[in-house]
Parts: sequence; structure tokens; C-alpha cells
Amino acid sequence: MIAGVGWLLARPGTTGATATALPVVAFAIMTALLLTVIGGAQSFWTWTDDIAVTYQALAVIALVLLVAPLASLGGAAARLSARRRDDRLATLRLLGATPEAVSALAVIESVVLATLGALVGVVAYFALVPPLALIPFRGEALGVEGVLLGWPALIAVPVGVSLLAAVSAVVGLRLVVISPLGVRTRQDAPKLHWLRLLVGVVVVVLAVGIVAVLRVAASAVLILAMLGLAFGAALAVQNLVGPWVIRLVARAQVRTARTPAKLLAARTVLESPKAAWRQVSGVAMTSFMAVFAGSGVAVLNAFGEAPDLESRLLLDDIRTGILITVIGSFLMVACSVGVNQAAAILDRRDLYESLAKLGMPTSTMDAARRRSVMSPLRITAFGAALTAAVVMLPLTGVTLIVAPLSLAVIAAVLAGGIGVVWLGLAATRPLLGRAGRVEA
Amino acid sequence: MSSFVIEASGLSKSFGPTRALAGVDLSVRTGESLAIMGASGSGKTTLLHCLAGITRPDAGTVGFRSGTGQVEITGLSERECSRLRREAFGFVFQQGLLIPELTAVENVALALMLNGMPRGRAEQHGRGWLAALGLAGMEDRRIGQLSGGQAQRVAIARAQVTGASVVFADEPTGALDSTTSSEVMQALLDSTTGQGRTLVLVTHDASVATRCSRIVDMRDGRIVGERVGAAEVAA
Ligand SMILES: Nc1ncnc2c1ncn2[C@@H]1O[C@H](COP(=O)(O)OP(=O)(O)OP(=O)(O)O)[C@@H](O)[C@H]1O
Ligand SMILES: [Mg+2]
Repeated sequence: MIAGVGWLLARPGTTGATATALPVVAFAIMTALLLTVIGGAQSFWTWTDDIAVTYQALAVIALVLLVAPLASLGGAAARLSARRRDDRLATLRLLGATPEAVSALAVIESVVLATLGALVGVVAYFALVPPLALIPFRGEALGVEGVLLGWPALIAVPVGVSLLAAVSAVVGLRLVVISPLGVRTRQDAPKLHWLRLLVGVVVVVLAVGIVAVLRVAASAVLILAMLGLAFGAALAVQNLVGPWVIRLVARAQVRTARTPAKLLAARTVLESPKAAWRQVSGVAMTSFMAVFAGSGVAVLNAFGEAPDLESRLLLDDIRTGILITVIGSFLMVACSVGVNQAAAILDRRDLYESLAKLGMPTSTMDAARRRSVMSPLRITAFGAALTAAVVMLPLTGVTLIVAPLSLAVIAAVLAGGIGVVWLGLAATRPLLGRAGRVEA
Repeated sequence: MSSFVIEASGLSKSFGPTRALAGVDLSVRTGESLAIMGASGSGKTTLLHCLAGITRPDAGTVGFRSGTGQVEITGLSERECSRLRREAFGFVFQQGLLIPELTAVENVALALMLNGMPRGRAEQHGRGWLAALGLAGMEDRRIGQLSGGQAQRVAIARAQVTGASVVFADEPTGALDSTTSSEVMQALLDSTTGQGRTLVLVTHDASVATRCSRIVDMRDGRIVGERVGAAEVAA
């Protein structure tokens, strides 16, 4: 009986098409990008000469920078597919389904969507192989053999994506399972402790320490591991501190808001600082990238004209690598903003429609929505850039980071990241227009 | 009692093959409480939406008379309709549809802020209305922390606070038990007709409808009957 009711409730409803397509598309993009990144990087490991280690070091940094936003995009997609069912699942609980049955249903559904998306992503990756093979490193194109992944990776990545979806679904559904009314009434008040800040500072100091002792590391492998650890830790810590700072600022904004849009935006952020953070967390990545690219370019510039062919090629390749990493991170940020915004609008369709009936102009709703993203975005973009600069400091010194060329690159990449989010917002505006349209 | 605030004539509206309204003439008198009753799917909500300038009818006209003159709602642009709804009308829906992130008083104040009133003054007015509706002390609660009946009173305060001359309510008591329903209905009447405003209400509940001054019955997109309610007899 429960199974029958379960199917009825789990079946896509009127919003089904969009709600189902979105996570599938997001999972597809995520899988394709992940395969592309791994494919590009693997060719570096086919080299065995002295300079190969330098390439591999740079590739590790690029991978760390790219894998984190990939995971966050994957998380967004998984949460979206799980959240689409929140209401129906809570209803199921109210009807008396066991927590196990509810969890199983939700997890299965998320995994099915993720697997579907991952398969589409594999196909998309194959389509990307030819252009990827044309990218030149060390004076020649990578070539199809260089970037084409073997079966192990082609199987492991989609399986990993599906697993990620399952884990996200389980975590996201804990609330429904604990309390059938929890999700329906959305009552949990968010609590964030200041200890987050303390932990954050400690981790950043440790990361700076690691980077500072990099030179004395015994082996190349150790250097790679330490670099990855320092950057990964500094990035991870953003997840801890970001929501806390965003909440602090939103609380002040609620008090001082003068217009409906400002009040709505600040309250939306305060409702769930973590959700606000997740929408823009990808930008923390582009900010890291900005500082990295900025000092990288400044280093290249300091070298001036390279004396020999090998170093000239290396400098060219670093430029290529920076460009690819920046573009890749922009792509992922744009995707996760799009996915999150579409989900947010779909979730609140009834409310938007009723506000339109009351006579609230769509422009006010849109302004509130834009603010609720752009304000946390500013905090995130600059906060992350600052953290990245601090972690880079032992490596580059102050002069390189504040060199005019470096600052120009940092500003350009930051502007690019913010612009991409803005585009994601603009792209989902028609969805809001449709949700808020009352004329049948 | 004889002047009309809303006059609709020859309203019809179809959704694809479904004829939701099939020629409705209806005049709403200033200061009356009008209940629209009828079976599910008979076109009540569609009629309410046409009267309020939310839905544009395929044929027919809706006129609105206010202190400043007469406008034909059916001739207004989308923007002008939106502004009219914001400034002259108030709405109460079945589920309240309040903004969950905002506090009770912010939900009410928002309606005034949309019309350009500064926040401080808007919240002051909002508190006044909430207190009048028996919600003193709950102003700073979020909507999730209110009961269904309390949330509905917040929605009523939101519909009233702008000084709307007509309040439209679509099954405002539909989700409430009979005691709470009766209290909410009283609050709604007190704050509308009790203040010389007009109330147009859609309901399934005969005990709610009889408390209005006039009841019209709908069937298959037409008005098929009209009765006098308790409020009229008492008056
Ligand atoms: N947006 C729409 N699209 C398609 N059909 C619609 C739409 N709105 C209403 N209808 C149809 O028009 C008819 C009248 O609908 P309406 O909502 O006015 O009924 P109602 O009397 O309010 O019913 P209820 O008591 O169930 O709320 C119904 O057959 C309904 O299916
Ligand atoms: Mg209806």
C-alpha cells in the first residue's frame, strides 16, 4: 500500500518536467567537466623528464581549484533533486511511511537522476575530446590519445557522481525523517557559532605555514601533496567561515533595510545563510583563481624574455593553464548559480504568484532575488581573494601580489566571476516572470 | 447602500475548452459583504480574479468606482492593474501565502512599503493592525511560528493596512476548524464592513456565507441565485 502511495507522491507532478530536467542537466555538466579535467591532466603524467614535475605541480593546483567547485555543483544538483521531493516525502511521513521507506525512495530517485545525468555527461565528454586534443602544451597539441580516458575512469566517474548524489540525498533528508513536520513548516532557526571563525583563522595560518616550508620539502611528491593540502584546506575553510560572515552582514542589513526589496533580500539570506553561501561558493573558487592567476602572470612578466626554448614553452603553458582553469571555474559557477536559482524559483512558485496577485511588481521580486545573491557574493568574492593572497604570500612575496599587472588580472578575474553569477541570475529571470504571472 | 464600488457586466472567460465564466453580471455595493458560493469548478475563483483585475476576461467589462473617480479595470494595462491591486484592493487567500522569512509585522508592513511608505511608519501601522486583530505580542514571530488561524489574521492585517477600499478573500477560512473559522470571519468582517469598506468573499462554507450581507450562487460559470444574508437582516 505504502509503495503504491509512494509512487503516486513521488511521480513527477505539474512542475515535474523542469524539476527533473534540472538536476539531470547539472549532473551531466558536472560529469563532462570532471572527465575533461582529468583527461587533460592525465597527459601530464605521461611525461617523465625533469621539467615534468613542474607541470605536474601546476596541474595539481589547478585540479584542487577545479575539483572543489565541481563537488559543490554536484552537491547543488543532488540537493535540488532531493529537495524537489521534500514536500511529498514529508506528506508520505505524515501518512505513516517508515523513515526507512522514505529514505530509500528519496535516495533511489536521486541516484536514478544522477546516473542518467552522468551518462549524458560521458557522451558530452566524448564530444569535447577533439577540441581538447588541440590544446597545445610544450609546443605540441595534447592529441586524442593524450586526453582520452581509459575504461576505469569512464566507469569510476559516473559511479562516483551517483554516490555523491546518494550521500547528498541522505544528508538532505535527515530532517524529513527526524520530523515529518520539520520540512513542511520550515521552522528550524539556523544557528552558527563564532567558533567557526576561530577554526577558520587557525586553518589559514596552518596553510600559510605549509606553503612557507615548501622549499625544504624532501621530494617533488611531497611538494605536490603539501601544495594541494594548503590550498584545499584554505578553500575548505571558506565553507566554515563564509556562512557565518554572511549571516552577520545579513542581520545588520535586516535592521537597516528601507525598501521592500532590501528587506526581503536580507531576510532571505538570514533564513539560511548556508544556502546563500552555497549559491555563491563557486565564486570563492574564482577568487582563489584570480589571485593565483594574478601572481602567476606577474611571475611570468618578471621572467621577461625567457633565454631558452624550454622555459619559453613553460611560460606559454602556464598562461594556457591559467586560462583553462579560469574558464573552467567560470563555467561551473555559472551552472551552479543557474541550478540553484531555478530551484529557488520553482520552490516558491506559489508565493511568487500570490505576491503578484497582491500587486507586487515582478521587478521588486527580481530585485530582492538579485540582492539576496549579490550581497553574499561580494562578501565571498573579496573574502576569498584575501584568504588566497595570504596563503600565497610565502610563495610570492608582497611585491608580486601587489604588482600592477597582478592586481589588474585579479580585478579582471573577480569581475568575470561576479559577471558570470549576474548572467546566471539574468538567465533565470524569465522563470521568475512565469512564476509571478497571474494572467492565465 | 445604493452606490456601486464594482460593476461587472457580461463577463466570460474560457480556459481552452473549459468555460469558466459564461456571462456574469454582478454589481458590488459600497460597504457590503458579498459571499460567492457554488460547487467546486463553478467559476468562483475566476470571477473573483476578474473582479480584482488579476485575470482579464475574454469578454465583458469591470468598472471600479473610488473617491477619485471611475476606472474601467478591463481597459487597464498589466502594470496599471498591478498598481490598482496594490493601492486599492486587499487580498486574503486560503493558505495565507505570507512570506515565510519575514516576521508577522514585516509581512504587514511590506504592503505599505510597496506603496512607498517608509519602513518605520509602515511597521508602526502594521503593529496597530495586528494588535487590533488580537495578535499583540506576536508581531516579531516568523510565520512558521504562528497557528493557521493566527497566520490568517496576519493576512487579513496585510489586506487592510493599506486602507484598501475592497478586500477580496478566496476561501479565507477553508483551512481552519469551525471555531477558528468563526473567529477569523469575525475579524475579517470587523475590519472591512465594520470600517465602511467592502468585502467580496468566496466560500464553500454556508455558515461563513450567511454572515455576509448578500450571497450569490454560481453554477457552470453563471450566477443562478441571490439571497440576503444575516448581516443585511441585522442592519
Ligand atoms: N488557469 C486555468 N487553466 C485552465 N483551466 C482553469 C484555470 N483556472 C480555472 N480553470 C477551470 O475553470 C473552471 C472554473 O475554475 P474556478 O477556479 O473558477 O472554480 P472554483 O469555483 O473556484 O472552484 P473551487 O471551489 O474548487 O475553488 C474549472 O473547470 C477549472 O478547471
Ligand atoms: Mg476556487
